[in-house]
Amino acid sequence: MGYMLNVGERSDPNVEVHKFYSGAVLAVCLLALVFQAFLHKYGRWSELIDLPLLVTIYFGVSRRNPVTGLFLGGTIGILQDALSHDNPIGMYGIAKTIIGYLASSIGGRIDTEHPLSRFALVFFFFHFHQIILAITQRVLLNHSAPLFTLRLFLDSLMTAAFAVPLFALLDRLRRPS
Amino acid sequence: MIDTYSRHRPLALLAIVVVAQVLLLAFQIKGEHDVRMIRYWAVALVTPLERAGTWSFSKVGGAWGGYVGLRNARAENERMRTELDQLRLRNRELESQAAEVQRLSTALNFRNAHTEAGMLAAQVIGSSADPTSHTLFINRGEHDRLRVNMGVVTPDGIVGKIVEVLPNTAQVLLINDKDSGVGALFSASRTHGVVRGSGDPEPRMEYVVNDEKVQAGDAIVTSGEDRIFPKDFPIGTVESAKPGSPFQVIRVQPSARLDRLEEVLVLLTQQEVVFKKPEVPVAAGAEAAGEPAAGAPRAKTAMANPSAAPQ
Repeated sequence: MGYMLNVGERSDPNVEVHKFYSGAVLAVCLLALVFQAFLHKYGRWSELIDLPLLVTIYFGVSRRNPVTGLFLGGTIGILQDALSHDNPIGMYGIAKTIIGYLASSIGGRIDTEHPLSRFALVFFFFHFHQIILAITQRVLLNHSAPLFTLRLFLDSLMTAAFAVPLFALLDRLRRPS
Repeated sequence: MIDTYSRHRPLALLAIVVVAQVLLLAFQIKGEHDVRMIRYWAVALVTPLERAGTWSFSKVGGAWGGYVGLRNARAENERMRTELDQLRLRNRELESQAAEVQRLSTALNFRNAHTEAGMLAAQVIGSSADPTSHTLFINRGEHDRLRVNMGVVTPDGIVGKIVEVLPNTAQVLLINDKDSGVGALFSASRTHGVVRGSGDPEPRMEYVVNDEKVQAGDAIVTSGEDRIFPKDFPIGTVESAKPGSPFQVIRVQPSARLDRLEEVLVLLTQQEVVFKKPEVPVAAGAEAAGEPAAGAPRAKTAMANPSAAPQ
């Protein structure tokens, strides 16, 4: 726990890029999608947490490579669309592509190791992700999706709170430098 | 330049990936008219370019065509003007022919309706060179069995009588000539008189006493006493009437258009002819008394005018 509360390794955009064990990124992404789909059938409570979004943000800020981040986010988003019932493929893909790119860009500029910064990062990315989704649905699908609601606010708090221990857990998959 | 490229490569890739996914969405989504959005976007993207291209080509083509066309405009204008004049001329000819057909048709119907006397259609081919004389020349003559004193009529009314016969031409004395005279009577009052020409366009009815009430518009018909025209055939109407000494001065407006004659009918018989009147119910008493039915044709072999004997 102290490890999580410490400032930890200082993020240096010019030098430090976290590497992970072989297959860890792929496995975590797949598990996130599986869990998201698996837990959904046990109740609406699972909608409070967006695991694929958390995984996108984490690996984006960890790899600090915008190209990798956008491709990873796009892949995760398209797979998430493919596993949904009536979502056209590309809707979550667009949103997570942008999130992946932004997370990777920000990861090299601010401290993303501190729990509070992680909490804030996830909170804002959640809402930004929702805005992108709403705009996409309004423009392309002609659906009146909400940009911001109280329910979304609570969801973002839940997701951000869940992200702190999750990110700490995923830190164990980093290959020691 | 390489630094710029490498600096903006992630952003470019982001744009490419996002656009690719947007296109993927557009391929799946159908709009309001059940048309895939990708198709809708493609058409919307291409259509303005096509319109601009069409507009440009039409402007350029129009300008070039205008220049080239202008060079031939004058010649074509002249050609079309000439053609128009020819068409107008042809149109007038056709109108004239149509009017002639109409007149001839009227004359034919008149002849067919009155089979009591033989009639021969003739065309007016000339008039008198003397302005004080009212005569016509027609294209029928002795070879067509015409004789002097045969009556000449139109469906509207009497015209005159033949005064000279040549082999292929005949001269007609009109009723408004000063040497003409036609036995006449008022259709309503049955008062007799003589319609005589005076040299003016309108003949006059003479020998009508001042006591006789005559009004403008009264119909004047032939009496048949001159044995030239059938009885009760229209001559004209009263144009004006005023007391005179010793008889009234009555001007007559001829029924036939004596100044616009083109086709006439020549009565080939020199016997007294009465045209049939429209059939009317005959009173039982009159029929029992043995009176002939009204309008029945009767012909007399005796000639009242020796000068009109056939030659």
